[in-house]
Amino acid sequence: MSAVSIWERMLNIDRRWIFLGIGIVSVVPFFLRFGLPVVTTDEVESIYNYVDSLGSEDAIFVSFDFAPGTQAENMPMAVAVIRHAFHNHVPVFMTASFPIHQTMMISAIDYVLNPQTEGFYQNVPFGEWERIREKGITDRDEIVAAWEAEGNELPDGALGWAFEGRDYALLGFAPVFNLVILGMTNSIETQYPQDINGNPTGEMPMLHEHKSLREVDMVLTCSGSGVCVWWVTFAREKIGLPVAFGVTAVMATDYYPYIQTGQVLGQMGGLRGAAEYEVMLEENGITPSTDKAFTGMDVQSAAHILIILFIIIGNIAYFAGGFHKKRLLKGGR
Amino acid sequence: MKRTVPLLIVLVGGILMMVQYFIPHQVSQSIFNYYTDWAPIVSSFALILGIGSLTRVHAHKIRRKADNWQYSWAVLIPLYLMPVLGLIWPKSMGGGMDAPSIFHFMYMYIQIPIQATMFSLLAFYIASAAFRAFRAKSALATVLLLAAVVVMLGQVPIGELLGSWFPKLGLWILRYPNLAAKRAIMLGVGFGMLATNLKIIFGVERNWLGGVGK
Repeated sequence: MSAVSIWERMLNIDRRWIFLGIGIVSVVPFFLRFGLPVVTTDEVESIYNYVDSLGSEDAIFVSFDFAPGTQAENMPMAVAVIRHAFHNHVPVFMTASFPIHQTMMISAIDYVLNPQTEGFYQNVPFGEWERIREKGITDRDEIVAAWEAEGNELPDGALGWAFEGRDYALLGFAPVFNLVILGMTNSIETQYPQDINGNPTGEMPMLHEHKSLREVDMVLTCSGSGVCVWWVTFAREKIGLPVAFGVTAVMATDYYPYIQTGQVLGQMGGLRGAAEYEVMLEENGITPSTDKAFTGMDVQSAAHILIILFIIIGNIAYFAGGFHKKRLLKGGR
Repeated sequence: MKRTVPLLIVLVGGILMMVQYFIPHQVSQSIFNYYTDWAPIVSSFALILGIGSLTRVHAHKIRRKADNWQYSWAVLIPLYLMPVLGLIWPKSMGGGMDAPSIFHFMYMYIQIPIQATMFSLLAFYIASAAFRAFRAKSALATVLLLAAVVVMLGQVPIGELLGSWFPKLGLWILRYPNLAAKRAIMLGVGFGMLATNLKIIFGVERNWLGGVGK
């Protein structure tokens, strides 16, 4: 076999071998768990620091603007910020820009409130603490005191209580979402008279304190599409609402101009961005451990190295086989 | 008449909404609220048109037995089956949208996994495409290739272990050359959108009328 034919065979390698390689490096790191360190960047630190500066008198929006296709990247971002907000008792409004995005919203809150999740928050559904609301108690510390005075105890492993209507509201999907954002600059309740469970939002303490987006401190849009820009166009530019982006890695490059102009507070780009946030949560004792994004970074490291190896091999074969000269002889580039 | 009325609606509506955005007066706010109440209602009629149009196109394909006409059934059957299961089908027979129901099952265990699978395939195709496309065939291709490798390594923890300059250089590429190029593109697109919008509002661009009244 001549040397050229070896290079030629390398260049024409059956792509199923490439697929197999990617398949292996996507699975193996999950079992080996290298736990390679993730260094944080300014883009993510700015979001973390901003959320960290908020308290129970503030409020944030987490907008689920992604579908199942990108949930591996977007979901950990949303989960990390919700857990951070719950830790600081910052009320979280959750919205979805399309019907399928609402499923992602439900998955995220289910994960945070699931007793099987390490460092979960104990859910208190809206209907269960009606007696406390009827007494006119709206301050969070007083709500917790009244709730625990009724004999309720925080389960083992729970990091705190999550009162529906005080700590979070599942607003969900509403049609023509860009107009919904515009509408919420005047009134959240007008756009969402009920949450996804049919609870009247007008009776929620967090809606009494934050009637419109003008009284909200930040929105994080976790997005797998251009929907994230709606928040800049219709909320940031109209009323000055601070907007943070959580976007997929392939989209992240698109939004650096918004960060540079200050229109966007910060950006979590892909799994890496979510992993950075998880690292900061763990380092500051907000969560007991890192989560799925950090674990996924091992897979991403292995996959990137393999792709780079493929690129190097392809180029070696291309030059060693003399294909660059042939190409030039055939009629140039 | 068929042309004049839509053109007038667009002209008045377009100018009104443009001006309203910059006037923080109560009257202006009322117009805006009125619009945001109406817009979703009007938009829902577009849904009817869309479903009608989609049905017509695929029904036509099936009737003519055009290429891959069988796939048109895959569009039409779920398009009508899902609303029937969710809204009309009796709850005693697995109807409704909430779990447990056939609608919920199909949504959770067919639609969502299909979407996730489709996106997951990207990793495999990107690897294959990178192997074949990233060749140092010219100076510009070499710059692209090197930038790709640096950014890829800079984005993952192993890049930091290989050399702390990988993430720094990767971020520099994203924050400066990438930002400059993106801004140029965005400005171009933005001016283009502004020009197109003004042309539509003032009736210069009339393709959206679909040839009505010609």
